[in-house]
Amino acid sequence: MIAVLDDDRLDQTFAALSNSTRRKMLQQLSKGAATVSELAKPFEMSMPAISKHVRVLEQAGLIRQSRRAQYRPCTIQAAPLNEVVEWTEQYRHIWETSFDRLHSYINEIEQAKEAT
Amino acid sequence: MSHTQPVVIEETFDTSIENMWDMWTNGEHFANWYGPQGCTIPVADIDATVGGQRRVSMAMETPNGPMEMWFGGAHLEVSPLTRLVYTEVMTDPAGNPMPPSAMGMDGNKPFVTEVTVELEDLDGRIRVTMTHAGVPAGSPGEFGWRQAFEKLVAYIA
Repeated sequence: MIAVLDDDRLDQTFAALSNSTRRKMLQQLSKGAATVSELAKPFEMSMPAISKHVRVLEQAGLIRQSRRAQYRPCTIQAAPLNEVVEWTEQYRHIWETSFDRLHSYINEIEQAKEAT
Repeated sequence: MSHTQPVVIEETFDTSIENMWDMWTNGEHFANWYGPQGCTIPVADIDATVGGQRRVSMAMETPNGPMEMWFGGAHLEVSPLTRLVYTEVMTDPAGNPMPPSAMGMDGNKPFVTEVTVELEDLDGRIRVTMTHAGVPAGSPGEFGWRQAFEKLVAYIA
Protein backbone atom coordinates (compact mmCIF):
# COMPACT_ATOMS: atom_id res chain seq x y z
CA MET A 1 0.00 0.00 0.00
CA ILE A 2 2.77 2.39 0.91
CA ALA A 3 4.55 1.81 -2.37
CA VAL A 4 1.42 3.02 -4.06
CA LEU A 5 0.88 6.09 -1.93
CA ASP A 6 4.56 6.97 -2.15
CA ASP A 7 4.32 7.34 -5.87
CA ASP A 8 4.87 11.05 -6.43
CA ARG A 9 3.91 10.78 -10.04
CA LEU A 10 0.54 9.34 -9.15
CA ASP A 11 0.09 12.18 -6.71
CA GLN A 12 0.89 14.63 -9.48
CA THR A 13 -1.70 12.98 -11.70
CA PHE A 14 -4.41 13.26 -9.06
CA ALA A 15 -3.41 16.83 -8.28
CA ALA A 16 -3.64 17.70 -11.96
CA LEU A 17 -7.05 16.02 -12.23
CA SER A 18 -8.40 17.79 -9.15
CA ASN A 19 -9.10 21.03 -11.02
CA SER A 20 -12.20 21.48 -13.17
CA THR A 21 -10.52 23.71 -15.79
CA ARG A 22 -7.84 21.08 -16.34
CA ARG A 23 -10.38 18.27 -16.51
CA LYS A 24 -12.29 20.19 -19.17
CA MET A 25 -9.05 20.70 -21.09
CA LEU A 26 -8.37 16.96 -20.94
CA GLN A 27 -11.86 16.19 -22.11
CA GLN A 28 -11.39 18.48 -25.06
CA LEU A 29 -8.03 16.86 -25.84
CA SER A 30 -9.59 13.40 -25.64
CA LYS A 31 -11.41 14.38 -28.84
CA GLY A 32 -8.18 15.37 -30.59
CA ALA A 33 -5.13 17.62 -30.54
CA ALA A 34 -5.63 21.33 -29.82
CA THR A 35 -3.47 24.42 -29.55
CA VAL A 36 -3.23 26.35 -26.29
CA SER A 37 -5.41 29.14 -27.71
CA GLU A 38 -8.03 26.58 -28.74
CA LEU A 39 -7.92 25.17 -25.21
CA ALA A 40 -8.33 28.69 -23.81
CA LYS A 41 -11.48 29.48 -25.81
CA PRO A 42 -14.17 28.07 -23.44
CA PHE A 43 -12.69 29.88 -20.42
CA GLU A 44 -12.78 33.50 -19.37
CA MET A 45 -9.25 33.42 -18.15
CA SER A 46 -6.01 35.27 -18.80
CA MET A 47 -3.48 33.61 -21.07
CA PRO A 48 -0.94 33.31 -18.21
CA ALA A 49 -3.56 31.45 -16.16
CA ILE A 50 -4.35 29.17 -19.11
CA SER A 51 -0.65 28.53 -19.68
CA LYS A 52 -0.25 27.60 -16.05
CA HIS A 53 -2.98 24.96 -16.29
CA VAL A 54 -1.41 23.59 -19.47
CA ARG A 55 1.94 23.44 -17.70
CA VAL A 56 0.49 21.49 -14.74
CA LEU A 57 -1.04 18.96 -17.15
CA GLU A 58 2.22 18.70 -19.04
CA GLN A 59 4.29 18.24 -15.87
CA ALA A 60 1.92 15.49 -14.74
CA GLY A 61 2.55 13.84 -18.10
CA LEU A 62 -1.15 13.98 -18.98
CA ILE A 63 -0.53 15.96 -22.13
CA ARG A 64 2.35 16.56 -24.44
CA GLN A 65 2.94 19.82 -26.29
CA SER A 66 4.69 19.53 -29.61
CA ARG A 67 7.88 21.58 -29.74
CA ARG A 68 8.27 21.30 -33.48
CA ALA A 69 5.05 22.21 -35.26
CA GLN A 70 4.46 25.92 -35.72
CA TYR A 71 1.22 25.94 -33.71
CA ARG A 72 2.57 23.60 -31.03
CA PRO A 73 -0.56 21.47 -30.60
CA CYS A 74 -1.21 19.62 -27.33
CA THR A 75 -2.12 15.92 -27.28
CA ILE A 76 -3.41 13.76 -24.43
CA GLN A 77 -1.12 11.05 -22.99
CA ALA A 78 -2.49 7.80 -21.62
CA ALA A 79 0.40 6.60 -19.40
CA PRO A 80 -0.41 8.49 -16.17
CA LEU A 81 -4.04 7.45 -16.41
CA ASN A 82 -2.91 3.84 -16.68
CA GLU A 83 -0.99 4.35 -13.45
CA VAL A 84 -4.17 5.55 -11.75
CA VAL A 85 -5.84 2.35 -12.90
CA GLU A 86 -2.91 0.33 -11.53
CA TRP A 87 -3.31 2.14 -8.21
CA THR A 88 -6.93 0.94 -8.19
CA GLU A 89 -5.78 -2.61 -8.87
CA GLN A 90 -3.41 -2.61 -5.91
CA TYR A 91 -6.18 -1.47 -3.59
CA ARG A 92 -8.36 -4.21 -5.03
CA HIS A 93 -5.68 -6.76 -4.15
CA ILE A 94 -5.43 -5.53 -0.54
CA TRP A 95 -9.19 -5.72 -0.10
CA GLU A 96 -9.42 -9.14 -1.68
CA THR A 97 -6.85 -10.59 0.72
CA SER A 98 -8.57 -8.81 3.62
CA PHE A 99 -11.90 -10.34 2.62
CA ASP A 100 -10.29 -13.81 2.51
CA ARG A 101 -9.09 -13.23 6.07
CA LEU A 102 -12.53 -11.97 7.04
CA HIS A 103 -14.06 -15.23 5.82
CA SER A 104 -11.66 -17.30 7.97
CA TYR A 105 -12.14 -15.05 10.99
CA ILE A 106 -15.93 -15.28 10.77
CA ASN A 107 -15.72 -19.08 10.44
CA GLU A 108 -13.63 -19.18 13.62
CA ILE A 109 -16.13 -17.02 15.47
CA GLU A 110 -19.14 -18.99 14.26
CA GLN A 111 -17.47 -22.32 15.19
CA ALA A 112 -16.57 -20.98 18.63
CA LYS A 113 -20.21 -19.98 19.08
CA GLU A 114 -21.44 -23.43 18.11
CA ALA A 115 -18.97 -25.07 20.50
CA THR A 116 -20.37 -23.21 23.50
CA MET B 1 -8.63 -1.91 -19.84
CA SER B 2 -11.51 -3.49 -17.98
CA HIS B 3 -11.45 -1.63 -14.65
CA THR B 4 -12.34 1.91 -13.76
CA GLN B 5 -12.45 3.72 -10.47
CA PRO B 6 -13.42 2.96 -7.75
CA VAL B 7 -12.60 -0.48 -6.32
CA VAL B 8 -15.82 -2.38 -5.63
CA ILE B 9 -15.87 -5.77 -3.88
CA GLU B 10 -18.99 -7.74 -3.12
CA GLU B 11 -18.95 -10.85 -0.92
CA THR B 12 -21.49 -12.96 0.92
CA PHE B 13 -20.89 -14.37 4.41
CA ASP B 14 -22.60 -16.92 6.65
CA THR B 15 -23.02 -14.83 9.75
CA SER B 16 -25.44 -12.41 11.36
CA ILE B 17 -25.73 -8.82 10.22
CA GLU B 18 -24.89 -7.69 13.78
CA ASN B 19 -21.67 -9.70 13.63
CA MET B 20 -20.74 -8.25 10.24
CA TRP B 21 -21.38 -4.70 11.44
CA ASP B 22 -19.01 -5.38 14.37
CA MET B 23 -16.31 -6.53 11.96
CA TRP B 24 -16.10 -2.97 10.63
CA THR B 25 -16.97 -0.85 13.64
CA ASN B 26 -15.27 -2.67 16.53
CA GLY B 27 -11.50 -2.18 16.43
CA GLU B 28 -10.78 -5.53 18.12
CA HIS B 29 -12.57 -7.37 15.34
CA PHE B 30 -11.29 -5.15 12.54
CA ALA B 31 -7.68 -5.81 13.62
CA ASN B 32 -8.21 -9.55 13.15
CA TRP B 33 -8.85 -9.49 9.45
CA TYR B 34 -7.94 -6.18 7.85
CA GLY B 35 -4.83 -5.76 5.72
CA PRO B 36 -2.78 -7.76 3.27
CA GLN B 37 -1.47 -11.23 4.10
CA GLY B 38 1.52 -11.16 6.46
CA CYS B 39 0.69 -7.89 8.15
CA THR B 40 -0.64 -7.30 11.63
CA ILE B 41 -2.81 -4.49 12.98
CA PRO B 42 -1.30 -3.47 16.35
CA VAL B 43 -3.72 -0.54 16.78
CA ALA B 44 -7.32 -0.17 15.60
CA ASP B 45 -9.18 2.57 17.46
CA ILE B 46 -12.55 3.01 15.81
CA ASP B 47 -15.17 5.46 17.03
CA ALA B 48 -18.09 4.57 14.78
CA THR B 49 -20.13 7.72 15.19
CA VAL B 50 -20.59 10.45 12.59
CA GLY B 51 -17.43 12.55 12.83
CA GLY B 52 -15.83 9.86 15.01
CA GLN B 53 -12.21 9.05 14.24
CA ARG B 54 -10.51 5.93 12.98
CA ARG B 55 -6.88 5.28 13.85
CA VAL B 56 -5.27 2.15 12.48
CA SER B 57 -1.66 1.04 12.36
CA MET B 58 -0.36 -1.68 10.10
CA ALA B 59 2.90 -3.52 10.72
CA MET B 60 4.79 -5.84 8.44
CA GLU B 61 8.19 -7.38 7.96
CA THR B 62 10.01 -6.25 4.84
CA PRO B 63 13.42 -7.20 3.46
CA ASN B 64 14.58 -3.87 4.92
CA GLY B 65 13.27 -4.68 8.40
CA PRO B 66 9.98 -4.04 10.17
CA MET B 67 7.77 -1.32 8.74
CA GLU B 68 4.84 0.42 10.35
CA MET B 69 2.23 2.61 8.71
CA TRP B 70 -0.50 4.70 10.27
CA PHE B 71 -3.88 5.56 8.85
CA GLY B 72 -6.46 7.99 10.12
CA GLY B 73 -9.86 9.09 8.99
CA ALA B 74 -13.33 9.99 10.10
CA HIS B 75 -16.79 8.53 9.72
CA LEU B 76 -19.00 10.44 7.31
CA GLU B 77 -22.05 8.21 7.62
CA VAL B 78 -23.00 5.62 10.24
CA SER B 79 -26.31 3.83 9.67
CA PRO B 80 -26.12 0.83 12.02
CA LEU B 81 -26.32 -2.60 10.35
CA THR B 82 -26.76 -0.93 6.95
CA ARG B 83 -24.16 1.52 5.76
CA LEU B 84 -20.82 2.92 6.88
CA VAL B 85 -18.80 5.60 5.09
CA TYR B 86 -15.36 6.69 6.26
CA THR B 87 -12.35 8.51 4.95
CA GLU B 88 -8.82 7.17 5.06
CA VAL B 89 -5.58 9.08 4.95
CA MET B 90 -1.99 8.21 5.75
CA THR B 91 -0.80 9.82 8.97
CA ASP B 92 2.24 10.03 11.21
CA PRO B 93 2.12 8.01 14.49
CA ALA B 94 0.55 11.02 16.25
CA GLY B 95 -2.36 10.99 13.80
CA ASN B 96 -1.48 14.04 11.74
CA PRO B 97 -2.32 13.59 8.05
CA MET B 98 0.85 13.33 6.06
CA PRO B 99 1.09 15.28 2.84
CA PRO B 100 3.30 13.81 0.15
CA SER B 101 5.70 16.70 0.77
CA ALA B 102 6.40 15.28 4.27
CA MET B 103 7.94 12.35 2.46
CA GLY B 104 9.99 14.58 0.19
CA MET B 105 7.63 14.60 -2.76
CA ASP B 106 5.44 17.04 -4.64
CA GLY B 107 2.06 17.85 -3.21
CA ASN B 108 1.12 19.77 -0.09
CA LYS B 109 -2.20 18.14 0.64
CA PRO B 110 -2.73 14.67 2.10
CA PHE B 111 -4.12 12.03 -0.22
CA VAL B 112 -7.58 11.10 1.02
CA THR B 113 -9.61 8.04 0.03
CA GLU B 114 -13.16 7.11 0.93
CA VAL B 115 -14.50 3.69 1.91
CA THR B 116 -18.21 2.83 1.77
CA VAL B 117 -19.48 -0.42 3.30
CA GLU B 118 -23.03 -1.57 2.64
CA LEU B 119 -24.62 -4.57 4.37
CA GLU B 120 -27.65 -6.48 3.22
CA ASP B 121 -29.42 -9.45 4.80
CA LEU B 122 -30.28 -12.04 2.15
CA ASP B 123 -32.40 -14.48 4.16
CA GLY B 124 -29.69 -15.17 6.71
CA ARG B 125 -26.67 -14.65 4.52
CA ILE B 126 -25.02 -11.26 4.65
CA ARG B 127 -23.93 -9.48 1.51
CA VAL B 128 -21.14 -6.92 1.95
CA THR B 129 -20.45 -4.37 -0.76
CA MET B 130 -17.26 -2.39 -0.23
CA THR B 131 -16.42 0.61 -2.40
CA HIS B 132 -13.03 2.29 -2.09
CA ALA B 133 -12.57 5.51 -4.03
CA GLY B 134 -9.61 7.82 -4.38
CA VAL B 135 -10.55 11.41 -3.66
CA PRO B 136 -8.23 14.11 -4.94
CA ALA B 137 -6.43 16.06 -2.25
CA GLY B 138 -8.47 18.88 -0.79
CA SER B 139 -11.73 18.01 -2.47
CA PRO B 140 -13.38 15.19 -0.54
CA GLY B 141 -16.91 14.71 -1.75
CA GLU B 142 -16.23 16.17 -5.15
CA PHE B 143 -17.47 13.72 -7.72
CA GLY B 144 -17.05 15.63 -10.94
CA TRP B 145 -13.49 14.47 -11.37
CA ARG B 146 -14.60 10.85 -11.18
CA GLN B 147 -16.97 11.28 -14.08
CA ALA B 148 -14.27 13.01 -16.03
CA PHE B 149 -11.88 10.26 -15.09
CA GLU B 150 -14.24 7.54 -16.26
CA LYS B 151 -14.59 9.24 -19.60
CA LEU B 152 -10.82 9.48 -19.91
CA VAL B 153 -10.31 5.87 -18.99
CA ALA B 154 -12.93 4.90 -21.54
CA TYR B 155 -10.98 6.95 -24.02
CA ILE B 156 -7.65 5.23 -23.36
CA ALA B 157 -9.15 1.74 -23.10
